[in-house]
Amino acid sequence: MTVLDEIETCIPALRRYAHALLRDREGAEDLVQDCLERAVARRTLWRGDGPVRAWLFRILLNRFRDVRRSAEGRAQLVPLDATVEPARSGGQEAHLDLREVHAAMGRLPFDQRAALLLVALEGMSLAEAARVLDIPEGTLTSRLARARETLRRMTGRAPAQDLVERK
Amino acid sequence: MSDNLPIDDEALIRLRHGEPADREKLADLLAADPSLRERLAEWDRQDAALATLYNPLADEPVPARHQDLLAAAARAPGWRFRWPERIAAAMAFLAIGTVAGWFAALHQMPGPAEADLATEAMRAYATYSVEVLHPVEVPASAASHLESWLSKRVGRPITPPDLSGNGFRLLGGRVLPDSQGTAALMLYENDLGQRLALYVAPAPAGVETAFRFAQSGAAQGFWWVDNRLGCALVGDLPHDALRKLSLSAYDQIDQT
Repeated sequence: MTVLDEIETCIPALRRYAHALLRDREGAEDLVQDCLERAVARRTLWRGDGPVRAWLFRILLNRFRDVRRSAEGRAQLVPLDATVEPARSGGQEAHLDLREVHAAMGRLPFDQRAALLLVALEGMSLAEAARVLDIPEGTLTSRLARARETLRRMTGRAPAQDLVERK
Repeated sequence: MSDNLPIDDEALIRLRHGEPADREKLADLLAADPSLRERLAEWDRQDAALATLYNPLADEPVPARHQDLLAAAARAPGWRFRWPERIAAAMAFLAIGTVAGWFAALHQMPGPAEADLATEAMRAYATYSVEVLHPVEVPASAASHLESWLSKRVGRPITPPDLSGNGFRLLGGRVLPDSQGTAALMLYENDLGQRLALYVAPAPAGVETAFRFAQSGAAQGFWWVDNRLGCALVGDLPHDALRKLSLSAYDQIDQT
């Protein structure tokens, strides 16, 4: 299997991640295309000393940061973190409301969303995701804990005690 | 709870998304603690919701433009396609330690101007790697400015290589006078505070050398001249680590 083949098998996951991260179809496809262009041009850099997938996600995230940086001053994508209101439903349903979850993901700070999607959606281990994000595992862990907690609050999941009090 | 201390979310995350052994440990803890199970169940619900929301995107057909790009790369007979083999060959030779002979056969020996490169790079490293307040003129946070500024001053496209795979993060760069014109100095640092200097200066046409090793005190480095650019990577690091970093830098500079 050549590096190009391996890159190709990763495209569906890259698209899924980019869409979930950017929440904008066109922007996500552009980002994936950018990422692929870079990966193809730099594929000699990949030496088999790690999975191609992690390398591609790195490129994708780096590319996204570049784009964001150069767009500073023009478009501002500032997620809301401070003004989190708990959602209304407070039960213990087997499933979360998908619209609520999608909306809540959009309100997570970018770094938390990027981290959570790597482990929760793409199934990466802490070690792998930390490498992709180029942050220490400890930083990633606390980022994930914050993301999960915020998500829980925004999708109406208070701790058991709160639930009792509210009822 | 089986432990004396309650398990906080971060500890739980380390177990849930850690290595297989961590997950086994988590399974044991869960068996003994119903409240833990409920906390984990909430995260399972989150993950299930994310999968339901976003997995369909991965099942869609891949847009033609993505496929075309890869197909074009696979077909391309150009230099980009041949380079991987050349680099792989170069690495193999480096690995078995015959690089000197191989390159000596392929390339002319360096003249004094190229050998100066190593000296200049060592000097720049000695001066700036110890600088606490102003190691660089333009920080890595201004990446696009740094890139265009260095490229403009050196007169060649310069993209600071990404050495983060080897633990080194770009601090930024500066320009310096060099016997061949204007040189770019890029400084990198790892988590241990060790610094690396990548020195890039214009080189005369027709000169090519492969990796050469230079040493001055504790600092040592590899340097090479290729494609009208002279490059030197200098640091106070073990020989093998430096060589790996140099190869990575070499590959990336070669792509620009």
